[in-house]
Amino acid sequence: MNDANPFDARPAAAPALPQNGARFLGEERAFWRLLTRGAFLLLVTLGIYRFWLATDVRRFLWSNTEIAGDGLEYIGTARELLLGFLIAIALLVPLNIVFFLSAFGSGWLSQLSGLLALVVLALLGQFAVYRARRYRLTRTIYRGIRFHQTGAAWRYAVCAIFWWAMIAMTAGLAYPFAQASLERFKLRNTYYGDLQGRFVGSGTRLFFRGVLLWIVVVVPLLFGLMLALGSIDWTALSEAMKRGGDDVMSRLEGAGLAPAAVIAVLSIGWSVLALALLYPVFQAMVLRWWMSGLRFGALTVASHLSTGAVYAIYLRFMWIALVAGVVFAIGAAIAFAIAGGLTLWLGKGVLTELLSTVLLIGSYVVVALAYSTIYQATVRLRLWKASFESIELSGIDALDRVNAAGAASSAVGEGLADALNVGGI
Amino acid sequence: MATAGTGIFFDGATSARRPVLVELSPEGLVVRDPQEHAMLVRWPYNELDHLAAPHGLLRLGRAGAPRLARLEVRDPALIAAIDDASVPVDRSGAAERRGRTKVIVWSLVATVSLLLAAVFGVPALADKLAPLIPLRAERWLGEAVDMQARRMLDKGDASRPFECGNAEGRAALANLMAKLEVAATLPIPLEIKVVRRSEPNAIALPGGHIYVFEGLVEKSETPDELAGVIAHEIGHVAHRDGTRSILQSAGLSFLFGMLLGDFVGGGAVVIGARAVLQSSYSRDVESAADRYGVDLMTRAGGDPRALGAVLNRIAGTTHPGVEILRDHPDTKARVAVINTLAPASQPARPILEAEEWRALKRICTAR
Repeated sequence: MNDANPFDARPAAAPALPQNGARFLGEERAFWRLLTRGAFLLLVTLGIYRFWLATDVRRFLWSNTEIAGDGLEYIGTARELLLGFLIAIALLVPLNIVFFLSAFGSGWLSQLSGLLALVVLALLGQFAVYRARRYRLTRTIYRGIRFHQTGAAWRYAVCAIFWWAMIAMTAGLAYPFAQASLERFKLRNTYYGDLQGRFVGSGTRLFFRGVLLWIVVVVPLLFGLMLALGSIDWTALSEAMKRGGDDVMSRLEGAGLAPAAVIAVLSIGWSVLALALLYPVFQAMVLRWWMSGLRFGALTVASHLSTGAVYAIYLRFMWIALVAGVVFAIGAAIAFAIAGGLTLWLGKGVLTELLSTVLLIGSYVVVALAYSTIYQATVRLRLWKASFESIELSGIDALDRVNAAGAASSAVGEGLADALNVGGI
Repeated sequence: MATAGTGIFFDGATSARRPVLVELSPEGLVVRDPQEHAMLVRWPYNELDHLAAPHGLLRLGRAGAPRLARLEVRDPALIAAIDDASVPVDRSGAAERRGRTKVIVWSLVATVSLLLAAVFGVPALADKLAPLIPLRAERWLGEAVDMQARRMLDKGDASRPFECGNAEGRAALANLMAKLEVAATLPIPLEIKVVRRSEPNAIALPGGHIYVFEGLVEKSETPDELAGVIAHEIGHVAHRDGTRSILQSAGLSFLFGMLLGDFVGGGAVVIGARAVLQSSYSRDVESAADRYGVDLMTRAGGDPRALGAVLNRIAGTTHPGVEILRDHPDTKARVAVINTLAPASQPARPILEAEEWRALKRICTAR
């Protein structure tokens, strides 16, 4: 962590404004402060503070980002997010009651109600994702003009669900085409003032760039799982399960379960390891492809985000996470010692159990929040910075003659996304 | 003190970037074209909107204006002068901090109030609502819960049916239930089944369904012991505890699942808080069912202390789990309460004849 922090020296010795690029001016230390304070307040308010924290984070990221010499601005407020969330809850409660009651009913409706609820909630989730994007865009100001988004959110939801189903069925092979199609939909409906955006990234190109990664990560997994399933004697297995009894384990072994388990564990282990090692490559590739596909009128974007930079970001995160892990291990040891001491001091009773339960859950939450904070302060911030600083704009004259258009939209989409846990806030 | 300087102006109608002259006039901030000196806008000081910007840049807008016109100033002396002249311009961040402190205080108040609602409000509401639910609805709910419970309890052992019951055993159980039901006078009929589960336990579902586990029949040494546990379960039916617990769980799901806890690690808080709260609700519920069981056994002519005896025996065999997360209050305390509640005189005869009790003991073993 003692490597030179480029942010600290920045404001004093700022380089000349890049006219055809972007830069990020935020100080990492200020972001750390914002996030740690926010994490503490999230903890004591059981999450109510999240609207304010999300707004602070966005304001920090947006307002410190400069594109072609002028800064972005985020003008959303926590109050809007809170209101949007409350409206979303009011919309979701009757829906949940209907699902709850139909699950208790009889006949085909209750049999299907689980599946139906899943489909409706998935659609609603993607609907919310699109609407949340609209909220964020209409709160993004550049040169005194806001962005906005058109397009029917339900259409986006149907397309997104279709593509996610395709991705699942092709074990990920459809991902580039899904991304290209959905990004085309989003950008076609994205406007800076009256300047319409579009997306020109090609799914086929991303496919051929990424297919090697897919072969390394996913193919062994599929192959291993198929081999494992094939090596099981299914009739013997179902026989063993049906008969039950004490010697069920030995008969399970007879069904070829042990070699199957070994193959499955090996292939899963390989895929997890490969994924962990290659994820930065994948992320850099997709980010580069996405940014280079962005167009606004005559403005074109090209990105030179290097894979090495993304690796450096993740390595730094791993290093800080490791140090934090040691600190937490010491903290956990102390917490257990305290819990043990309490048991001795108070004896076994309701109060001791309550205190140790609170201690246990409390320390878990502290650790989870701490890791989320570290991730945001390292990976999220540096990826944001690296992405913006990797871009090269051409045709920036297009940005000089844009007329204001579009109006601020409500934050109900953000609220829905938050309530449905689809990465709203 | 600077009263004029330069800045960058965006008029909010187009994206054109305009270098401008900025003047501090008595009526407000005046923005002028640098060549022709024509006034572009005049913003009153108290209507200035101080917007987020990187360090060293003052970005201003006009509060409440339909257009998003922006003025950007980099000259430190001019920034200081504007800050002095305008109340909303808050370079030190003091006003922002005051506002944020208020938000934090109110969020804490809201958190405490929602927690109080979870601890006191939800059980109180469930107590009030449960008696209002019509019996027909409760039976309908019972059918649905019954199906789910059976699916969960039934291990699917094909060689033996899930429900125990030879003719003699069933007759003995029916006789025992008849005695208890006559004494209980419930508005809904009870449906009792002995099922193949080795745990010494019994459960009551909404709508009068009671499941007695095979393990309990084995552990019971007298008919009164088994009857005592069933009487306790009838207490749950009479108090409509199943319906109440469904209402409570729905209320807690709403409070914790929807309003609170939506942050990283929040899931653990939700699960933990629900477990602690629900078990704290159920302590009172179990004590009430114990009282009911003692009363019912007395009226039915059985031995109310037998419940305590079988509880002691069962507690000796099960693992002492995490106390707060366990549904039933401390066994010793329960047995003590049962014994004080029970009348001094003991019935002369067991609740079932020896012959019938033998049949009931064999309900799961004999064909």
